[in-house]
Amino acid sequence: MTEAISLTVNGRSYELAIPPDTPLLTVLRNDLELNGPKYGCGLGECGACSVLIDGMAARACVLPVSVAVGHEILTLEGLASEGRLDPVQSAFIEAQAAQCGYCLNGMIISVRALLNHTPRPSSAQLQSALEYNLCRCGTHVEILEAANRAVAINAAESPEAPHE
Amino acid sequence: MSDRQLSTPMAEPTELPAPLASPRRFGVAVRPPHYGWNGEHFISDRLVAVDRTSVEGLPGCVEIVNEGDFVGVVADSLSAAKDAARHLQLEWRAPSAAGQGDAAPLPATTEAASRELSAGHAEAASVHRHEYGWPSRLRWGDAPGWVVADCSGQRLMLWAETITPETLIQDLQTLTGLPAEQIELYGNTPARVSGLGRHCGDDAAVDAAVMSRHLGCPVAVWLDAAYNRDVHALGQAQRITLSADLAKSGDIADYRYHQAHASGNIAAVGLWLCGRQPTRRTEAGETPSFSPYAFSNAQLTTRRDDHGTGRHSEDLAEIQQAFARESFLDEVAHDSGQDPLALRLRHLDDARGVELIALVSQRARWGEALPSAVAKSPDRMRGRGFAYSQLPDRHQRIPEGVRSAWIADVEVNRITGDVTLTRLVVGQDAGPEVDTERLQQTLQTRVLGSARPLLGRNPAFDEWGDGSDHTRHVESTTGGALATRTDMPTKENAYGEATTSLPQTLDDVNLAPGVAVIANALFDATGVRFRQPPFTAGRVRQALQDQANPFQEEAPGRPTKRPRRRWLKAAALTAVAGTAVMAWPWKGAIAPINRPAANLYSAETIERGRLVAAAGDCAACHTAEGGRENAGGRAFETPFGTLYSTNLTPDERTGIGRWSYAAFERAMRHGISRDGKHLYPAFPYTAFAKISDADMQALYAYLMAQPAVSAERPANALNFPFNFRPLMAGWNALYHAPSSFEPDPGQSDLYNRGAYLAEGLGHCSACHTPRNIIGAERKGEHSLAGAMVDGWEAPPLNRLSSSPIPWSEASLYDYLRHGASSLHGAASGPMAPVVAGLGELPEYDVRALAHYVAVQMGAPAGDSETVRADAAARIATAQSGPIDMEEGERLFEGACAGCHMNSGAPSFTSAQTTLALNTNLHSQHPDNVIQSILGGVHADHVPGLGNMPGFADSFSDSQVVTLTAYLRARFAPDQAPWRNIESRVKTIRQHNNSPSYTPEATTRRG
Repeated sequence: MTEAISLTVNGRSYELAIPPDTPLLTVLRNDLELNGPKYGCGLGECGACSVLIDGMAARACVLPVSVAVGHEILTLEGLASEGRLDPVQSAFIEAQAAQCGYCLNGMIISVRALLNHTPRPSSAQLQSALEYNLCRCGTHVEILEAANRAVAINAAESPEAPHE
Repeated sequence: MSDRQLSTPMAEPTELPAPLASPRRFGVAVRPPHYGWNGEHFISDRLVAVDRTSVEGLPGCVEIVNEGDFVGVVADSLSAAKDAARHLQLEWRAPSAAGQGDAAPLPATTEAASRELSAGHAEAASVHRHEYGWPSRLRWGDAPGWVVADCSGQRLMLWAETITPETLIQDLQTLTGLPAEQIELYGNTPARVSGLGRHCGDDAAVDAAVMSRHLGCPVAVWLDAAYNRDVHALGQAQRITLSADLAKSGDIADYRYHQAHASGNIAAVGLWLCGRQPTRRTEAGETPSFSPYAFSNAQLTTRRDDHGTGRHSEDLAEIQQAFARESFLDEVAHDSGQDPLALRLRHLDDARGVELIALVSQRARWGEALPSAVAKSPDRMRGRGFAYSQLPDRHQRIPEGVRSAWIADVEVNRITGDVTLTRLVVGQDAGPEVDTERLQQTLQTRVLGSARPLLGRNPAFDEWGDGSDHTRHVESTTGGALATRTDMPTKENAYGEATTSLPQTLDDVNLAPGVAVIANALFDATGVRFRQPPFTAGRVRQALQDQANPFQEEAPGRPTKRPRRRWLKAAALTAVAGTAVMAWPWKGAIAPINRPAANLYSAETIERGRLVAAAGDCAACHTAEGGRENAGGRAFETPFGTLYSTNLTPDERTGIGRWSYAAFERAMRHGISRDGKHLYPAFPYTAFAKISDADMQALYAYLMAQPAVSAERPANALNFPFNFRPLMAGWNALYHAPSSFEPDPGQSDLYNRGAYLAEGLGHCSACHTPRNIIGAERKGEHSLAGAMVDGWEAPPLNRLSSSPIPWSEASLYDYLRHGASSLHGAASGPMAPVVAGLGELPEYDVRALAHYVAVQMGAPAGDSETVRADAAARIATAQSGPIDMEEGERLFEGACAGCHMNSGAPSFTSAQTTLALNTNLHSQHPDNVIQSILGGVHADHVPGLGNMPGFADSFSDSQVVTLTAYLRARFAPDQAPWRNIESRVKTIRQHNNSPSYTPEATTRRG
């Protein structure tokens, strides 16, 4: 049964009439046409569908849209601000860390979530944070390099950020 | 009533009524060192001098109000006024000897006359004489609160806490000389009045009015337990002396009744102190009064005085008279070894009264022994009492008047002194025009409303609302607030000729026997005679302690001891035989009715019914997957075959639209459908029998007010012989005891509320108690010991809980209110809709449930540091898995770890509780783990609770087995590995794939 659902995505409010148990990913891709988050396994295993909710990583394929009501949702499309890419996006471009690129949305979102919480993570922390984002092409080395680069750019852009 | 003082913490004054927003002036009345009512006169110290300099310079613009012996201190805040009152120097002198001399002991002349009279009857077998009293103030009030008076010019506005508005207005008229229509009373005046007399809200109101009148501005007075001083000072308002000579035959040969005052109203303390209350002029004459009984020689007198006119005073006098007379007859009966009911019938020369008493005694099974409470607890005593009265009708005609016969059962806790009214059967014959249903409603609210102050106790288990305004809530809820059956065998009812009538008939409700019936039942239970109300826990406790003490002063204020008479013993044999016969009765259809109009019930009742339905979670079973709410058709697989739930909507053909309340109640309590067929105990009528009458009625009202849905249900597919419904009669005889809920007086209100919800409405045991081979819940240590239901394990709720971290009351609350506890995990499976239903209930009810379950588990209130350290250690141990289970590890890391392990990056969708603390992984049975892997975890409607997808379609059976074994080894290393995972996976898959099984939405994902 459809219900009136209000969502805040990338700073914009949306009023939707949809069944409340629809997965958030379906709503983002089909209703809001935000295709940054990808449909991978559909079981919350791979992380390709990740979005940020209140700054935390969330697997949108297993999340009923009703649970996201009242929270700030940020997709890959919303990371750039005022025409400038997010430092994590810049780092992944600079490191050319893509093979097929299907997993990259989840990688970028996971690194962003970690930096929100831990602005100066160690390489080990980065590795742990990406442990449950699956990549089938074997691009892990490049992705980790991009992640390390993201930490450096992020630090340069916000030097006053507190140390861990 | 010092109980109140103990049980209610001295609440701090809070919000004021709007009119006092400004200017804010607060008053405190300063009473003389000695003052009081001596039964005839008000006597107090006289004020000689007020030293106003003693409060000069104190903060808060202090003003002193003085009129006669009344002194009030008014300031800008209550604390400033109280402070000034402490500092104020007053000079008092003792009252003059002349003043005291006026107070002659009043019944002296009558007593002398009685003695002479009884001396003349030398042939009398025994002489009985007792005195009964009534307090001037039953208690200081119901709850602390503001009383504000605004007396300016020719108008007095009062925001008061009163239960006797009429008498308060009389006092205010005496004080101000204003006509009644210029006195406006607002505020917490309850719509119905208990009729038992005044409390100190009236004294506070007069205090406020005196101060406001002198200062010309609104003055607020804080009413709280400090007014207990007035309760004690005003003492006794009414005294009634009764004596009787008993002939050898047991008949009362000579009966004398003397009442000290026509009415038992004592004016407010402030009025006396101001000197504005005229001294009562008692006229020499005496007026005869009425008794429903006929004695060969009777003398009934009441001293005439010039106070206490008005309807309310009459009501009060009637209650006082009935209390004294009915207590006295009870005493005479017990002292002479007669059945109190039989003694009354011998002296009742009134066919209507005799018939009514016969009906009521039959309905209440008078004469049968009460079930003994001793087995439950030696500290509980049970007793039963009877009382009767006949009052004039509203045209003052006695022969046409209202007859009322009451039988009450009480249970007394010897330790605490708490008195619980466990059953009340009231019969009322109000003449030809009676609206039975409304009469019953009025009785229920008014009777139970008056029982509360009388017993000084909040019967809380049957209350709906938040615990925060507990005391108030009782006053405002309609319906039974006690563990009571209010049965109404009126003449009309018995003959099935109930007719509707004018609303005025409600005035005819005769509450007069209400106090005596409790006093008599109390005596039967304890052997202690209370000759003056109230029967608060404190007084009862004291009396029971005094029972051991042989030095008893026989005064009406003090309860006295009597040897217990055991005339009930003879009747006990019949009772046993009676029960045996009663086991097989009672089928037969109850005639269908036209569907009740939707507006028959008040919005308040329907809302209460909605909460009852939520607590009972009707919709969980009576809604098919994807079907309309409560339209039935959901399948239940039982060991005996498949059952389908019924349509609960008021559809006349397929639902319960043509069910009368009687039919509905029978189904709920006894498991018998309207058409007389037995229902199967998958429907937990064994628990629902405990639902209180008021809740049951509200539930009926709610269901009948919902939209009707026409929905046929599939036919049950039960195996032989279980498809033979009459078999259930035998099952019921063996396993169903349709007893009402009985609160445990040794436990708190919170516990009893929780027990009521859990054992009755909530029917927790339906899932959490194991059943025997023919489907009956097992008892004793097996109660709540955990069971398998519909392919899930309902874990033990008693001390057998296998939770790795012991549950605490706080964790239980989190789980029941929010669907998850950080130390235990989230609700899922059949428990998820239960939590969703609990979401409708007020916080207090969920706390009560948590408290009750915690007591069953022996769980502490909170989680100790040790427990938290243990949790941390378990989490640390589970950071890595066993080395020899690589396939399991691969499955876990690939499919589960993304949400179930902490990667260091904050995640919105990660599982809130680590698997290391999960109860299911530590259980004896792997079923819930397998169910969760296959079907996922869904708790829709529980806000904030996440979902876990099911893996039934992506894992093979052997993968599920491998993963389950791995989870057990990694997260419950202290538990033995499960042996039967393979067979359980197969069985659960089959069960879930069966066409009748509708898992919570595996189809909606993807």
